[in-house]
Amino acid sequence: MAEHAPMRLEPEARRGKPLLYIMAALAAGAVILTALSPYASLGWRIALAALVMTVLLSYTLPAFGKYLRKRIFWYTATFFVALALNFFLPRLIPGNPVDIILQDLMMGITDVSRATALKNQYIAQLGLDKSLVEQFFIYTGNLFKGELGMSLYLAQPVAKVLASKIPWSVAIMMPAILVGWLVGNMLGAQAAYKKGVYDKVIFPLSLFLSSIPSFIFSMLMLLWLGVSWNWFPVLGGFDAQIINKQSLVYYRSLVAHWALPFISQTLIIIGGQAIGMRSMALYELNADYVLFAKLQGIRDRKITRYVFRNAVLPQVSGLALSLGGMVAGSTLIEIVFSYPGLGQQLMMAIRNVDYPLISGCTLVISITMLVANLLIDIVYGLIDPRVRSAQTEES
Amino acid sequence: MAEPILSVRDLKTYYRTRLKENVYAVDGVSFDLHDGHVLGIAGESGCGKSTLSLSLMGFYFPPLHYGSGSIVLNGTDIMTLPYETLRRDFLGKQIAYIPQAAMNALNPTRRISRYVVDVLSEHDIGTTEKQMLALAEEKLTFLGLPPRVLNAYPGELSGGMKQRTVIALATLLNPTVLIADEPTSALDVSSQKVVMAMLHRMLKQGLVKSMIFITHELPLLRHVADEIAVMYAGEFVEVGPATDVIFSPIHPYSHALMGSIIVPEEGMKARSLSSIPGAPPNLKNVPPGCRFAERCAYVVPECRMPDPVLAAMMEEHQYRCRFDEQELRGKYALEVPAHV
Ligand SMILES: Nc1ncnc2c1ncn2[C@@H]1O[C@H](COP(=O)(O)OP(=O)(O)OP(=O)(O)O)[C@@H](O)[C@H]1O
Ligand SMILES: [Mg+2]
Repeated sequence: MAEHAPMRLEPEARRGKPLLYIMAALAAGAVILTALSPYASLGWRIALAALVMTVLLSYTLPAFGKYLRKRIFWYTATFFVALALNFFLPRLIPGNPVDIILQDLMMGITDVSRATALKNQYIAQLGLDKSLVEQFFIYTGNLFKGELGMSLYLAQPVAKVLASKIPWSVAIMMPAILVGWLVGNMLGAQAAYKKGVYDKVIFPLSLFLSSIPSFIFSMLMLLWLGVSWNWFPVLGGFDAQIINKQSLVYYRSLVAHWALPFISQTLIIIGGQAIGMRSMALYELNADYVLFAKLQGIRDRKITRYVFRNAVLPQVSGLALSLGGMVAGSTLIEIVFSYPGLGQQLMMAIRNVDYPLISGCTLVISITMLVANLLIDIVYGLIDPRVRSAQTEES
Repeated sequence: MAEPILSVRDLKTYYRTRLKENVYAVDGVSFDLHDGHVLGIAGESGCGKSTLSLSLMGFYFPPLHYGSGSIVLNGTDIMTLPYETLRRDFLGKQIAYIPQAAMNALNPTRRISRYVVDVLSEHDIGTTEKQMLALAEEKLTFLGLPPRVLNAYPGELSGGMKQRTVIALATLLNPTVLIADEPTSALDVSSQKVVMAMLHRMLKQGLVKSMIFITHELPLLRHVADEIAVMYAGEFVEVGPATDVIFSPIHPYSHALMGSIIVPEEGMKARSLSSIPGAPPNLKNVPPGCRFAERCAYVVPECRMPDPVLAAMMEEHQYRCRFDEQELRGKYALEVPAHV
């Protein structure tokens, strides 16, 4: 319903058009100038790219451009809501970061007034004495300067912590999602199409993989392949005893530590994708158009192509969504395998009530989610005529 | 009389369910269809009309299976053909089909024009893509559709347009036999009339040589059909010239049907076939003897005996009852027209 609100305003918008153009041009100019300045953060550069894309698309595909502008508007609005939640929710966690930081320091101090003074000093230094709303505006302001603040517990810039942790998560999840998606969909399609023994093996196996809680499955993998059979190392992202980070031994240990979480995650994804694809393909195979095409004398080979194209379309959004949820999705795996990614970091940040770091992690997660969704909308709009015609009706 | 275009003899087909039970949905159907004629098939929901129309296409895929019988089209028994020949030379070319659920009969992600090319290029007719599209455009225009339909995706067409598009696609190659399975049941009354008129025009102009028209709305058949077959529980219980079957039906089932929808015109639409009390037998396990016995007003104990000569045959007008026409007509004459 809310989506239709801007449309009702249309007559007024048309009257105010020159002003609107000037404002849009000014905003665009500001974005371009900021983004091109040498101090611009990555966020500004992305905003610029998005702007250019939108303008180009508006010119090449007018109806689609309009749809896209509307989408982007709503995603931006969602982003700000997410931003607020990312800020406020961690700060509602019971506990106080200063207590945790000072835990060790306080041990030796017996003088209560000195302890309180020290605590207050820390609180003031971290800006925690201001009201939450005030803190929020400071936080948002800093964010647009590209600053995510300092981690309270690690005493490092949040951006730096995130940058060092994200690659680990991506290294597991990106290949796992891609391989899992491809293999899962192929297996699911085969199961639906060939039926018989094939289906009787693939289906229950996939069902098992997709319905067992993923942390239990990962722990089983860890227990069998890691501990009992000792095929893979089980702790961390590399062998901590290796000092030379350029040596071949180090890289080999990286791969060895990566393999088990990667395999577990891939298998889990294969299960889910195969189940989804199988039911989609079965549904499509029974669709009326298949019968009509068959009775029109169209070869099975061609009909199969219709079916799989149609069945895979919804799966594409699944792919984009899991890529978007990549960082969040790896949390369990990272915890089970003590893998040093963002998920594990988030877990630790929560335990330490490390507000800026929690907000930073969840911000990354929110942004990847939003971008993935936006990409789905764009890709769908371009490849699926059903969505496309719905869009033209909408706009 | 000339050789029939389509001659079906004792066709039996069945569904095999997942529980390995057989549903004998078409059980010994025979009929002839002549050039320029329309055979109407009427019967209650679930009596096997759709199954019969699928079975007539000459190839089967699970869960539907072929039992026995022959389907001779233009002198060729298509049941004896290898699939590839049947596909290339018959399906969509000589024998065409309009499905009951025409609304979803088109691939939602393919433009009509692409689909046209897909169909036509499967039949070795030696035309270029351009000629194919011209052919399709001609058909669409004939059916009163704008040529822009070619460029549309199915989702962009209205229900009535989709229906007519499906008819255009089914008749691209001027089929000898067109099987239309309730092609109008999803339409409102005025679109129904338009579609019926179009089908009729196609027949008149020879774009379609003959037609099998399935419906459970008998009033529709009265105006289009030359012959009518009444189907009950997988069998034809009566086949004959349309006016005879409608105005002086012989079989007690047809009689009950027509009794329930008898003229005047106005009253015809309101009444449905299901106004006969009782339900048809389960097709998984058909009782021996006459299948209508359970619901027949004139049943005698012998009706339930297995009886190989159940069908009484005449030249033109056939029916399936142990009583002969005179006996039945005698019974009907005595009847108070109260059960209506
Ligand atoms: N896939 C199937 N598997 C098993 N039985 C089926 C299947 N499809 C249909 N049947 C059964 O076959 C019988 C005939 O079905 P059919 O669809 O031919 O009926 P119909 O006369 O076309 O009915 P309607 O007027 O409702 O379209 C029904 O009893 C139905 O239950
Ligand atoms: Mg039917």
